Amino acid sequence: MPPEQDPFIQLIEANKALIFKICNAYCSQPADREDLAQEIILTLWKGRARFRPDHKFSTWLYRVALNVAISYYRKTKRSIPNIPLSDIHAEEAAHLGSMKEEEDKQQLLQQEIGALKEFDKALIILYLEEKSYKEIAEIIGITATNVATKLNRIKEK
Amino acid sequence: MEDIELKKMWDASNKQLEQARILNLQSRALSTKTFESLQKHKAQSKLNGLSTFKNWMIALGIIWVLFLVLLVAGDRFKHLYFSTSIAVIAAFNIYAVAAYIKQVILINQINYESSLVDTQKKLTELQISTINIVRILFLQAPFYTTFYWNTQWMLTDIKFWLITFPISLLLFLASLWLYRNISFKNAGKKWFRLLMGGREWASIIEAKRYLEEIEEFKTNEA
Repeated sequence: MPPEQDPFIQLIEANKALIFKICNAYCSQPADREDLAQEIILTLWKGRARFRPDHKFSTWLYRVALNVAISYYRKTKRSIPNIPLSDIHAEEAAHLGSMKEEEDKQQLLQQEIGALKEFDKALIILYLEEKSYKEIAEIIGITATNVATKLNRIKEK
Repeated sequence: MEDIELKKMWDASNKQLEQARILNLQSRALSTKTFESLQKHKAQSKLNGLSTFKNWMIALGIIWVLFLVLLVAGDRFKHLYFSTSIAVIAAFNIYAVAAYIKQVILINQINYESSLVDTQKKLTELQISTINIVRILFLQAPFYTTFYWNTQWMLTDIKFWLITFPISLLLFLASLWLYRNISFKNAGKKWFRLLMGGREWASIIEAKRYLEEIEEFKTNEA
C-alpha cells in the first residue's frame, strides 16, 4: 500500500494542525518543534494498534501528543515562549505588514501560553481548541469541575 | 479579553506560523512512513535520554559485577575476608543493576495514551525511585575496607585494632547513617548537595518538585 493511502498516515494528515499547535506551544525553536513533531508521530505510530475505533480519535491523539510534548519540554527545558511572528519568512512578514496590531496581540497570546506551566499549557490549548470540559477532563485526568476552576484562574492571569 | 477573540487569535497565530512553513508536518508524516524509519528515529529520540543514562549504568554495572565475580571465583574463599567482602560488594551491585534494568523496562512500557496526570506521574515516580538504589549502594562502602583483613593480622598486630578496625567501623556507621538519611526531606541540606552533585541527582530533585506540582494540580479542586 502506498504510504499516502495508509489509514494511519491519513489520520495524521487530517490532524496535523493539532500536532502543529501543540509543538508550537511547547517548543520555542523551530528545530525543537521538528523533533517534537517526530516524537509525537513516532509515539502515535507505536500506539496505533491500541487505539479503539469506538473512542474519539482526537481525545487519543491529544493524550499522546500532550504527554509526549510535556515529557519533551521537561527534557529539553526550553521554556522560552514561542518564536515571535517577526521571525517568520520575509514574504509572510511583508504580507502581515499592515496587521501589526493583530500580530502584537497574537504574539502576546503565544508568549502568555508559552510562559504557562506544563499542565496549564495543555489545559489552555484544549480550551482554545474548543474541547468540552468533559473531554478536557478525560485527556488531562482531572475532574470537569477542576478544569473549569483552573481555566478561570488561568484566564484571570 | 473575550473568549471568542482569544480563540480567533489562537487560530490566526498558528495559521500564520503554519503558512510560514516553519514546521512541515506533512513531509514529516510521510518521511516516517515505514516502521524501519520510525525505529531509526526512535534511536535518535531525545526522550530516550531518560533511559540512556540508566543504560550506561547497567552496562558499567555488569562489567563491574563480572569482574567481582571473577575475583571471588578465582579465590574460591581461600581468603575468607577477601572473598566475603567482594561477594557482598558484588551482591549490592547485582541488586543495583537489576533495579536499573527494571526501571528501563518500566520506562519503555509507559503508556502515553493514559491521561496526562497519570502518565507524567508514573514517569516521574520512576525517575525518583533511583534514590533507593543510591541509598542501598552506600551500604557496600565498609566492605571496601575489609577485603584485605586476615586472621593472622588481627591476632598479632595491635595496629589492626587501633587503626584499621576503627576506620571500617566508622565507615560502617557512616554508611548506615547515609542509608537512613538520604531522602528528599534532607535534599536542601548542604551535606546532601555536596554528596549528590551529579547530573542524575539534579534531575531527580527536579522530578520530585514536578511530582509535587502534579499532586497539587490534581488535588486543587474548587
